Amino acid sequence: MQSAGAQEPSIPGKSPMILHNDRPEDLEMPNSYFDKWLTPNDKFFVRQHLPRPEVKGDSFRLAVTGLVARQLDLKIEDLRKLPQHKVVATLECTGNGRGFFRPRVPGIQWGRGAIGNAEWGGPRVSDVLKLAGAKTDAAFVESDGADVGVAKTPDFIRSLPMKKALDPATLLALDMNGEAIPQIHGFPARLIVPGWDGTSWVKWVVRLTVAGEENKGFFMNPGYRFPKFARPPGSAPVPAELEIIEGMRVKSAITKPAEEDKVGTGPLTISGYAWAGEQKITRVEVSTDGGSRWKDAELTPQNLNYAWRLWKLTWTPPKPGYYTILSRATDSAGNVQPFVAEWNPSGYLYNAIDRVGITVEKTA
Amino acid sequence: MRMLLRIVPLSLLAVLMFGADVDIEAAKKAEQRECIACHGLRFIHTQRLSRAAWQKELDKMAGWGAEMKDRQLLLDYLTAEYGDTKPVPQAPLSSDGSKTK
Repeated sequence: MQSAGAQEPSIPGKSPMILHNDRPEDLEMPNSYFDKWLTPNDKFFVRQHLPRPEVKGDSFRLAVTGLVARQLDLKIEDLRKLPQHKVVATLECTGNGRGFFRPRVPGIQWGRGAIGNAEWGGPRVSDVLKLAGAKTDAAFVESDGADVGVAKTPDFIRSLPMKKALDPATLLALDMNGEAIPQIHGFPARLIVPGWDGTSWVKWVVRLTVAGEENKGFFMNPGYRFPKFARPPGSAPVPAELEIIEGMRVKSAITKPAEEDKVGTGPLTISGYAWAGEQKITRVEVSTDGGSRWKDAELTPQNLNYAWRLWKLTWTPPKPGYYTILSRATDSAGNVQPFVAEWNPSGYLYNAIDRVGITVEKTA
Repeated sequence: MRMLLRIVPLSLLAVLMFGADVDIEAAKKAEQRECIACHGLRFIHTQRLSRAAWQKELDKMAGWGAEMKDRQLLLDYLTAEYGDTKPVPQAPLSSDGSKTK
């Protein structure tokens, strides 16, 4: 079992988190925190590619450039003056669950916790683009964060297809769960791209450029791409056959009990999360006998596109022994979570039916 | 000759025990010197990769500006200590920083 060791560093603003790296911060939410539909900011996971920039509110400027009628240099106040919208959306790291792929792949060995759900608030990206008189038939909106690469590490720049940029749910968020976005999550402005992988949700956005072509930097290609045609596990990628990742796949995970837990023979609440990118979650089923029989779990009431649903099922083990608990989700498009996730060389989009083994002991 | 006979079995034993004759201490110093300029070491030490995969990572880092005096030493070290047959450690929890800004 993990424990907060006094010798490990603390991360400002964060409760104890699974510390994959402290410089830059790569922090996973422990399974024990998955009890709230809105993930508190102090428990929300963090993935940084580059050292975190210290963006100051008063000197912050957002440049809107490229295929626009007028270039803009916006302050936070200018963004606050635009119509403000709120969207609840789940943010998941593209590599969440990477640690479950076999053979293993390089990268942070995330378990289940590189995911969280928050209420994001701020102007729509479409309203920012409208202010600049953007050419909305251009193919992409490129976004650059204030973070920069060390040595020759490439800058983190992403291109978002215009269609998704103009979606009314796509925001340039200033708020996270009702407070200004914390520094570590992208203060003062972060892209919210509901249903899409975390890589699209650029932090500390200081430039939006309307462009006819996709950015050619590392973080668009070869970074964050997925094989168009699956190849046998362990195979090297075929660069010409890699595609950009967009929406996330249907998925559920078990956050309680934990792997190798020992419990008594009384009623046990099994719980977890489920989400499906741009779709809604319609069903989560749980099996306590290795997948022979399945029961429907109870879902949290909010039934929204882009947002996860937490689920639970109370089960009384019939007798002591070892049990394999499984969970599988179904989404509003009829997609069902697969038994086996599609292996890929970078370990993205892990979404296999989740599995936890526990031992039920005779209660005295 | 007698000296040589004594040394050879010892080094053979070392190879059998450690898989390869890697100067771990020298490699750890190189890692401290050459990797932490840009990032912490934790996310290296929690990965378990094949020699070929570590080679790719080192090549990527060289391309991103890491100056490695002895890339072979680092490769041997990473493969010996963090190879894909080694058990995976659980990452620790950070201390509580929720009260600090």
